[in-house]
Amino acid sequence: MSNHDVSRRSFMVRTIIAIFAFIGAAFAAALGGFGIMPALKKREPGWSDAGSVADLTEGLPQERRFAEIVKSGWQSEKQERTIWIVRKADNTLTAYASSCPHLGCGYRWVEAEQRFACPCHGSIFDINGKVLAGPAPRPLDTLPVRVENGRLLVQYEVYQLGIAQKLPA
Amino acid sequence: MMTKLIDWIDERISIRTLWSAVANRPIPGGASWFYVLGSTLLFIFILQMLSGIFLALYYVPTPDHAYASVKFIQNEAAFGGLVRGMHHWGASFMMVLIALHMLRVFVFGSYKKPREMVWLLGVGLIGIVFGFAFTGYLLPWDQKAYWATVIGTNVAGTVPMVGGLLLKILRGGSELGNLTLSRFFAIHTYVLPWSLALLAGLHVFVMELAGPGGKWDPARNSPDRTEPLFPNQIFKDSIFVLFVFLAIAALALVSPAGLEPQADPTDTTYNPRPEWYFYFVFQLLRIFEGSYEVVGTFVLPTIAGMLLVLLPFVDRRPERAPAKRRVLMSLGGVTVVGVIALTIMGAMAPVVQAPSVTSPSVLAGRLLYDKNGCSACHSIHAKGGTIGPDLTHVGAKRDRDWLVRHFKDPQAVSPGSIMPKTALPENDLKELTDYMQSLR
Repeated sequence: MSNHDVSRRSFMVRTIIAIFAFIGAAFAAALGGFGIMPALKKREPGWSDAGSVADLTEGLPQERRFAEIVKSGWQSEKQERTIWIVRKADNTLTAYASSCPHLGCGYRWVEAEQRFACPCHGSIFDINGKVLAGPAPRPLDTLPVRVENGRLLVQYEVYQLGIAQKLPA
Repeated sequence: MMTKLIDWIDERISIRTLWSAVANRPIPGGASWFYVLGSTLLFIFILQMLSGIFLALYYVPTPDHAYASVKFIQNEAAFGGLVRGMHHWGASFMMVLIALHMLRVFVFGSYKKPREMVWLLGVGLIGIVFGFAFTGYLLPWDQKAYWATVIGTNVAGTVPMVGGLLLKILRGGSELGNLTLSRFFAIHTYVLPWSLALLAGLHVFVMELAGPGGKWDPARNSPDRTEPLFPNQIFKDSIFVLFVFLAIAALALVSPAGLEPQADPTDTTYNPRPEWYFYFVFQLLRIFEGSYEVVGTFVLPTIAGMLLVLLPFVDRRPERAPAKRRVLMSLGGVTVVGVIALTIMGAMAPVVQAPSVTSPSVLAGRLLYDKNGCSACHSIHAKGGTIGPDLTHVGAKRDRDWLVRHFKDPQAVSPGSIMPKTALPENDLKELTDYMQSLR
């Protein structure tokens, strides 16, 4: 075999490899972007009316539901939300997201024990959202609230769960 | 007739040579009931493929329709309960048999040289089967499906550094919705079946190239004890396959696949519990508190996976007899006992009963509201008609007296109203009013 043949052969080998590397990379980039990019779109939470503030009793958390319009892929749909509202002694209002900051189960107020309890992995919180027991890595997530004309307005933010920091998802 | 057809094919593609190569494939040490697990897994995979394909005839992967379509499959479609039940129980059997298969290979020391690659492909297959279980979960879009996926994806979100990104990629956004269900469906029905078929094919192919391990005692693998695959082993395989098939079908009929109420993201009274084969993970998540939480969600599962991958490279002694691999057998035993114990603890984890914050009369009023078709004209929390006023916050706007008078004679309090008079007994009227008052 002459030198000429060797270089011709290695040229073809390299070209074949290059062709399929190019096709693979281009296709992978397009498919990867297609699969991932729509998932990374940022949520922009608006203010929602979570009902009247008149009947909130100090020390008795109240569960409130409201609906907000959420864009889910190709659809704008009404998404129902739940929050817990607590009126404190100094008359300030705190709203908690209804997802346990551990892994997202819906926790509830247990009046007899004066604490919030999560039914999944057993996290327990006091009325101020502090973790008393269980695996939750941070306190209950508070949501931005404001009161206007006797109505409670809430900005329903979704947070990343299971980690110590409170970061928007 | 049949012989003639086979002759015709054989003349062209030597199909008899191919079959005799399969049928005479030697089994060192002879056929054994221990070897039926792998072929039965292949059988269950085919069963899952077929039942899955047929479920896809009616299933619709969007949150709007998924639940209704599964309900249709379960309750209305002919044999729907059986097909879905077999897919459901087939998944459980897959989990049990894949664990037993792995355990058999572990105890027999069959993962050792020259079969390390076969073991690695097997570990990959376990990963794929878990992927199937996890993605299949969400598809019915009932309460169990929804909450298990909320928790499962949040577990992925705790992975250090990339957790947040991973969570969004898995969900197709920051929350569960259209894009979550469509991608779980695509992964469950396209990505994973093809991956499993490819890996399972390689698993068998590489095992043939490397040669089967046979018994752990070399003396028992002597040539005089070797048997061909057909008929003894295939007979044993077939008997076990029949047993498994009957068990799956019987369970599908006796204990149908469950379908809980439709997914409700706002429900704070639901007690989420995973499928039984995830109880050990569920329990693991309950154990580690605060900053150690990542141990249960990420560190331990990663270590377990890595140990499985590394096993054939760490344990390189040619010795295969379990009696002479005491340390490893004890570790394996502890793991099995640990998983079983965690599973039992997970199954017994206490639920938290939701206290009835809502008074009984409000609940009764809510039922009356539904029963009397009020939602045809009125809407509450964006559900219902638009002819009458929205009642979402009616309790804050109208007092009790007004509501009662209005129910009895709408036009008297609200001239020009087209609402008909409410002809309900006093007590019902009171409950309906209580419900209206609770809407604030």
